[in-house]
This record gives sequence, C-alpha cells and structure tokens, in this order.
Amino acid sequence: MAYHSFLLEPISCHAWNKDRTREATSPIPIPFLWLPGPPPFLLCLPGIDWAPESNRLVTCGTDRNAYVWTLKGNVWKPTLVILRINRAARCVKWSPKENKFAVGSGSRLISICYFEQENDWWVCKHIKKPIRSTVLSLDWHPNNVLLAAGSCDFKCRIFSAYIKEVEERPSPTPWGSKMPFGELMFESSSSCGWVHSTCIPVRGGSRVAWVSHDSTLCLADAGKKMAVASLCTETLPLLAVTFITEHSLVAAGHDCCPMLFTYEESQGTLSFGGKLDVPKQSSQRGLTARERFQNLDKKASSDTANASLDTLHKNSISQISVLTGGKDKCSQFCTTGMDGGMSIWDVKVRNPRGPLRRD
Amino acid sequence: TRRRTGEALRAFHTAIRGSPGSARSPALKEQAQGTMLKVLTSFKSSEIEQAVNSLDRNGVDLLMKYIYKGFEKPTENSSAILLQWHEKALAVGGLGSIIRVLTARKTV
Repeated sequence: MAYHSFLLEPISCHAWNKDRTREATSPIPIPFLWLPGPPPFLLCLPGIDWAPESNRLVTCGTDRNAYVWTLKGNVWKPTLVILRINRAARCVKWSPKENKFAVGSGSRLISICYFEQENDWWVCKHIKKPIRSTVLSLDWHPNNVLLAAGSCDFKCRIFSAYIKEVEERPSPTPWGSKMPFGELMFESSSSCGWVHSTCIPVRGGSRVAWVSHDSTLCLADAGKKMAVASLCTETLPLLAVTFITEHSLVAAGHDCCPMLFTYEESQGTLSFGGKLDVPKQSSQRGLTARERFQNLDKKASSDTANASLDTLHKNSISQISVLTGGKDKCSQFCTTGMDGGMSIWDVKVRNPRGPLRRD
Repeated sequence: TRRRTGEALRAFHTAIRGSPGSARSPALKEQAQGTMLKVLTSFKSSEIEQAVNSLDRNGVDLLMKYIYKGFEKPTENSSAILLQWHEKALAVGGLGSIIRVLTARKTV
C-alpha cells in the first residue's frame, strides 16, 4: 500500500491509462494532467475518464462542455463536444467499447455522445425521463448499451443508451430484452440519500450496487427479479463503490478509509467485511495529571486519543478505481481524496468466494 | 424490580412496533411521540443498554429518530435520560444511524 500526496487541494477525480503508467487527476480548482505537454486551462473539472484501448481522455467541466483528448505526438489535443446542457457536467465515463461516452450533469439528464463520421464531430443524445435531479455517478454495463446512473433524486437507475448509428442491437439481458434508447430498465426505491456512486460488475453484469448519502449500501440483483439488498452502515456516508470480485465490494467515503462488503447471493444479503485501513497501534503514553486536567478543560474529555485521524487519507475519499485485475479479480485499487492524496491498495484474495484481506 | 424492568421493556417494544410509520396524520405522530417519550424516560439508566441491544438494525434507527424528536420537544429532565439513550444507541447504530435521522424522508 502506498500513499502519494499531490497537493493541498482536494482531488476531484482521477483516471488511469491502460498500462497504469500515467494518471490524470483533477484537483479543484486547477485541473492537472500528469503527463507530458498538456495545455492547462483554468476550470474546475469534476470528471475525467481515460479510454485504455484507444488511449483517449474525456473531460467534462463546470463550463457545460466536454473535451475528448487525443495524443498527437507528445501533446494532448482537445476536441470540443457540445453537450447541450445548461448546468455543470458532473461525471463522465467511456463505454466499454470506447465508441461512446456518457456525461451526467446538473441539467437533470445524461448526455450520450458518439462520433459521427460523416460530419467529423461528436454528437449527443439526451436521456431525460424520469431523472429529477443532478446525475452524480455513471457506470456502464459490459454490453456497451446499458448504463447505471445515480442521482440526487435519491434513485439509482439503469437506462439503455443504445445508439443504432454505432452498434448492433443488443441481445437480451437479465435487465430486460427491449432496449430502445432512453428506456428505463430499473429504478431503485429504497434510498433516502443522494446516490453518490454506482457500479456494475463485469461478469454477467446482472447486478448493480450503489452507495447513498443516508449511509447505506444497496445492491439490486436482476437474477433475483430485481430484488434489492440494502445495508444500513454504521459509518458516515460512502462516496465511492466498486466491485472487486463478483461478490465483494470496496467502498469509501467520509470516514476516510476503504471498507469491504460482501454480497451473499443465496440469501440476498449484504454484510460489512471490515475496514481495510487498520492503523498500527501506536504506543499509549500515559497522561500526566496536568495534561488530563487540561484535556478536561479544553475538550471536556479525559481520554488519551488525539484529534488527528489514524487513517492513511486525512480527509474524505471521493473516488475508487480498480487498478489491476479488473472488477472481477481486483488485485490493486486506487483511492483519491479531498486531502489531495492518492493511495494504492493491494488486495489479496483468500479464496474465490471467501472474505478478502488487505495486504 | 425485575418485573418492573420487564414491563418497561415490553412497553418499549410495543411503542417501537406500534410506531405510525408512513401515517401522515400529525395528531397520530404526536401521540406516538408522547408515548415513546414516556416509555424512554421511565427507564432506569442501568436498563437502557439491555433495551437497545434487544433491537434489530431498523429498530435502532427508529429509536434514534425518536431520541432526536425527544430532544426537539423536551419535557422536564427528559434530555438527561435521552442523552443516555443516545449514547447507548450510538454505540450500536454508529454514526450511520444519526445520518439516517437527518436524511429520512419519513419522520416520526
């Protein structure tokens, strides 16, 4: 496990390239691209995604636009994509085949963008109904058509983002068989908080997990007739979640440390598997009577724990990405947080269906 | 005394189970709040932990909602005993149970 401190500002998002040698991050308010020769521009970038195969970046910003960046020689060249939104863009994700990307925004809609060859530009279509508030998070299904979206209207939904101009009609999935563009395949009803992050696992893709601001983690299983398992956690709200195997998830948020959760398929339940950032026990030094009295006076408490955090990240973790192994058999994942730091975590799989251990 | 504890516990569970839930009527909610407050304040400090441990996760969340409602509308000495209930409920439900009081669409 390694911790790198970049800046003092929070890192709003990050993305890795295919061989994990380069990382693009966006601290607020100045976006950085940690690679050779980018032209920096002074905007707040809430969203970045890196397409590993075609080696293109897509960024979306509070200026209501998105840019697709291609590497020409040593320099990244941007191409403007007009999203036709009137609020800030919040999140962006390339589709698995990298021929489309989706942008969630405060305009209460999702822009699905694809490249139109004849006119040599990126065009977009909107998914609007029935989204009632800002779209905070997106994740694609492996079939390149279905898209999970978490929103501030307390719902996690799965839409079809089928674009007939760039792909074949998709075959039926456990979420449904008719998938015209914009079709609502699934909508959750259990959460009472903004849905900060959603994730669809790679194998099969018949599940979707999401974390919301009411400190819950939920999972819908299309294989069980869309049954939703939810777990009311004892922690502060989680902001990011990802699958690391078919049955295990890692989530992190305002408690500043990643946590493990497991989904028991036969019973349809989620359970907490423990915190993954277990600090070394520091030696407990006894307090003098004078210090104890001072503590009582200043903080109204006489315990010896000091006010600083024991976790690696010193502020909320806002994003988790799988680094190696994919969402199926993750062996490393990366977290970035509001403390301006980035951590890489090693995962050791005990046995395929058993609990995981942090290395 | 054990009988009294048993009765208090039973009253507690009845109040929790009988919570109006999705009922909209303010009168019904107020009645439930009043009952719950009476039950909570009737407990001795030493009995609170056992009562909290007898609840499931949803019960703890519901209890936390009533505790905060009790803070909102205090009666004489109610806050002191409610703080003790809060401490025990927090130990079981964690900060998440307080977050769910703040984010709940349906209040008690």
